[in-house]
Amino acid sequence: MVTREDVENIALLSKLFVPEEELDSLTKSMQEIIDFADAINNAPSEGEAFDNINNLSNVFREDEVIPSYSSEEILKNAPEQAENHFLVRNRE
Amino acid sequence: MGKIAKIHEMLKSKQCSCTELTKSYLDEIEKSNGELNAYVNITGDEALKAAKTVDEKIAKGEEIGLLEGVPMTLKDNLSTKGIETTCCSKILTGYKPIYNATVWDILQNQNAVMLGKTNMDEFAMGSSCETSYFGGAANPFNTNHVAGGSSGGVASAVGANIAAYGLGSDTGGSIRQPASFCGIVGLKPTYGSVSRYGLIAYASSLDQIGPITTSVEDASIVFDAISQYDDKDSTSKGNVGGETYSKLNNDIKGMKIGIAREYLDGVRDDVKEAILKAAEVYKSLGAEIVYFDLPALKFALPVYYIIACAEASSNLGRYDGIRYGYKTEHYNGTHDMICRTRSEGFGEEVKRRILLGTYVLSAGYYDAYYKKAQNLRGTIVKSFNNAFENCDVILAPTVPMTAFEKGHATSDPIETYLTDICTVPVNIAGLPGVSIPCGFNAKGMPIGMQLIGKSFGEAQILNAAYKYQQAAGENFKETKWGVKL
Amino acid sequence: MGCKTVKYELVSGFETHIELATKTKIFCGCTTEFGGEPNTHCCPVCIGLPGTLPKLNREVVRYAILAGLAVHGEVAEVAKMDRKNYCYPDLSKAYQISQLYAPLIIGGYVELSNGRKIRLHHIHIEEDAGKLIHQHGDTYVDYNRGGVPLIEIVSEPDIRSIDEAREYVEKLQQVMRYIGISDCKMQEGSMRCDVNISVRPEGSEEFGTRTEIKNMNSINNIAKAMEYEYERQVDLIESGGKVVQETLRYDDATGTTSSMRSKEDAHDYRYFRDPDLVTINVSREEVEELRAKLPELPTEKCKRYVEQLSLPEKDAQLLTKYRRISEYFDEACDGVKSPKTVANFIIGQIFRRTETESDKEVFDVAVTPKQLNELVKLLDSGKIRNNLAKATLEKMLDTGKGALEFISEDDMGGIDENALLELCKNAVESNPKAVDDFKSGKEKAIKALVGNVMKNSRGKADAAAAEAKIKELIG
Ligand SMILES: [Mg+2]
Ligand SMILES: [Zn+2]
Repeated sequence: MVTREDVENIALLSKLFVPEEELDSLTKSMQEIIDFADAINNAPSEGEAFDNINNLSNVFREDEVIPSYSSEEILKNAPEQAENHFLVRNRE
Repeated sequence: MGKIAKIHEMLKSKQCSCTELTKSYLDEIEKSNGELNAYVNITGDEALKAAKTVDEKIAKGEEIGLLEGVPMTLKDNLSTKGIETTCCSKILTGYKPIYNATVWDILQNQNAVMLGKTNMDEFAMGSSCETSYFGGAANPFNTNHVAGGSSGGVASAVGANIAAYGLGSDTGGSIRQPASFCGIVGLKPTYGSVSRYGLIAYASSLDQIGPITTSVEDASIVFDAISQYDDKDSTSKGNVGGETYSKLNNDIKGMKIGIAREYLDGVRDDVKEAILKAAEVYKSLGAEIVYFDLPALKFALPVYYIIACAEASSNLGRYDGIRYGYKTEHYNGTHDMICRTRSEGFGEEVKRRILLGTYVLSAGYYDAYYKKAQNLRGTIVKSFNNAFENCDVILAPTVPMTAFEKGHATSDPIETYLTDICTVPVNIAGLPGVSIPCGFNAKGMPIGMQLIGKSFGEAQILNAAYKYQQAAGENFKETKWGVKL
Repeated sequence: MGCKTVKYELVSGFETHIELATKTKIFCGCTTEFGGEPNTHCCPVCIGLPGTLPKLNREVVRYAILAGLAVHGEVAEVAKMDRKNYCYPDLSKAYQISQLYAPLIIGGYVELSNGRKIRLHHIHIEEDAGKLIHQHGDTYVDYNRGGVPLIEIVSEPDIRSIDEAREYVEKLQQVMRYIGISDCKMQEGSMRCDVNISVRPEGSEEFGTRTEIKNMNSINNIAKAMEYEYERQVDLIESGGKVVQETLRYDDATGTTSSMRSKEDAHDYRYFRDPDLVTINVSREEVEELRAKLPELPTEKCKRYVEQLSLPEKDAQLLTKYRRISEYFDEACDGVKSPKTVANFIIGQIFRRTETESDKEVFDVAVTPKQLNELVKLLDSGKIRNNLAKATLEKMLDTGKGALEFISEDDMGGIDENALLELCKNAVESNPKAVDDFKSGKEKAIKALVGNVMKNSRGKADAAAAEAKIKELIG
């Protein structure tokens, strides 16, 4: 059972606002999707062990320095920046 | 001859210059994109610059490669340095990557001419291209119908020949389904054969980049080019199965083509008929058809949605208005800024999947959903392995239906999810699958069939696909649109 | 505090984050160097640009294994990376790549001087977050530290006092520095502790409700915060209240803890396997290879100094506190008869020249261990006496030159029995007053006679032997 509280909680974790007036309809639609997902619980067995999809292991890089990007490049797409930092102003 | 080889010949024999060719593609885009909405960003200047480089090479009498100078397009979730890359989401508007996706590095090194970035469902979440922030792409066979999704823009552009070929990405069918809807070829390679570096992630364990083309030859040429081991992707294996192009014409006499009964359940009659007809074609080519059961397929769709949404909820956490992309105008404090940015920046379907993914991973639900789905994923992998003990390739429909009319997909999410029923098992098991046209329904809309191979068995499925294309070429039909070569 | 009827026992467990001294970050090739202009040690991977992928630094795994072996942990045969999801501006991907379900190191312990073993639950590897600067309500974000490799050492709740907590942290710091995987500088943030703390009536088996004090960056603050928190919890229970399980921050200025909880921070990390990274399989050969690379560790070293070299416990501890000192000592001891003499020179004269802890850690001394070894051997063989050796060492420390630069052939002659007898006779004859004093019971008067012998032998005579000889002459 998906409750309104569940939806409020996962919205908070997801950092999404759900307006009060949409909460009920969203709860209902989440319930429908969860009912659909619940089909897996009719699966006969516990299933097979699954590791990663192509069974690779021990893929590493060597500890060698690669020159970093300039801070101008790094900050190029920032909606706001100041003094070579990404900036989040408290209030706008 | 495929389109790529044809263009290659034209350039080499100086029938036209690369600049002229590129201009005619750009002209056609200009003419038709208003209706098709395939491109969301046209990069004419960059394209002409690349074309000029190729022309200079030709003028100097230098050899050019097969993909050199061939006008193409990239789905808008592939990172292109300095060129806006949005995943067709408001949240990434204005974002210009400072690095290239590995596939784009590879193609750019081969002097590919990119005409622009193409439309898609927002963050590749959708089956109709209609969740795009820029509106959906139209089907070249009938613009009242969708092009499919999520790589709808690439399929629309390639189907309408306003790009010779394109690269899309396939998480649950996003290459094969729109290729099927648009009557063209789409290859979803084995997981790990094409680097994911620079592909903006939807669901990392399912995503794979692949070609969308008008012929099997072209799919094979592009796949051979982009299937390389990449140092930057820990899950990369490269082209383990070897190159495919030279093996296209291998004899398929005695090849065992399997049909899983479950794949034909709930499929529309016209589609089913086309598949069975294709089986007959294979028989006539000397292949053997074997029927078998794949009961694990029943769970493929919920398993897919649980895993994909779980990974997506994590992958999409980073869009917070701080480092790139959209940021809300009015807010009070950091938490408020992030929530508003995300709520305003993501569309409904994306938000729905983020919430679902968060739910199945959250305390108290992880075991029942995510963990269980992972176990079933193991079961599905094993069932495919078993199936391939009795056949070489699997034949299945790509989509249970043909392209639907615009606006149809948006009403009921679950019904829309069912569209993916034939495509998602391949992603869950990490296998290669190619969709090729296999006929038309009564309304003239294309039907697609899917050939599924063993892990790294691209050469085999492309070989089988090519043989079919040779035998049933009438199904590979050009539309009224685009450049006439 | 008033008079309590019940005594309360403190129960504490630590989560200790230690930055690894690898050259590059855990998932990209950017440098791990401390500081630097903001956002200059960054690339698309460590600022989490869409489409980028992590690739694990091999050295991080090796360093973590060394750490695990040094605290008697077991290296897992299969380890995996997980995502810990939470959204905060210092975390560029909105998840931290860490380990939960299959950490690299299982178990282990840290042994304290009181003989108690603080058991470790596990050690895992993970990435550090960036740095936030809050100014006038605005937040400035610098990702230079984002992606620097960390190990997190998670202990069981086995710590029972603030002294134990202090020693536990010091021991970890000491061991990790010994094996060279981190500088463990708490003030620079390369070692940070989250302290879990609860109280229970003495004798009780059950654990009380715990609180967690986050991000402690000095041992003194840890002690102060624990003391405050212990008192707070006891008072709360005594006054009929209940401890609430929550995350606290310690305020250095007021010496108090306060809750970090707010609705925004509602945490459910939704850990799951990171699909971008593959399984880590550590071969047993590699584990043994790394084990062979481990230096002798301080606890074992300390035991050996006491048991085999007969050093006092206190000396052994001082000499093993930093790896460089112990190595200096080991080298200087090579082939000497009395390691205690070497220890005395180091703890006495050399320590006077390496006053601060960081001087001691670096232990950059003008005299090489070999030079000290030569000096001690001169002493051992009786060629020079202690006083001369001490004075010579001072000159060596001033100049960096060897002992022989300051000691002449003549100095090293030593004096034989006859010469000593002559000197003693001379002293007795020329100091009748002192002889009389001694005879009339003033024991101390003998010192003047010995002093005379020492002076005339230019320090070469053995004071004890001279005293015995003089007593013989006048006795
Ligand atoms: Mg941690
Ligand atoms: Zn980096």
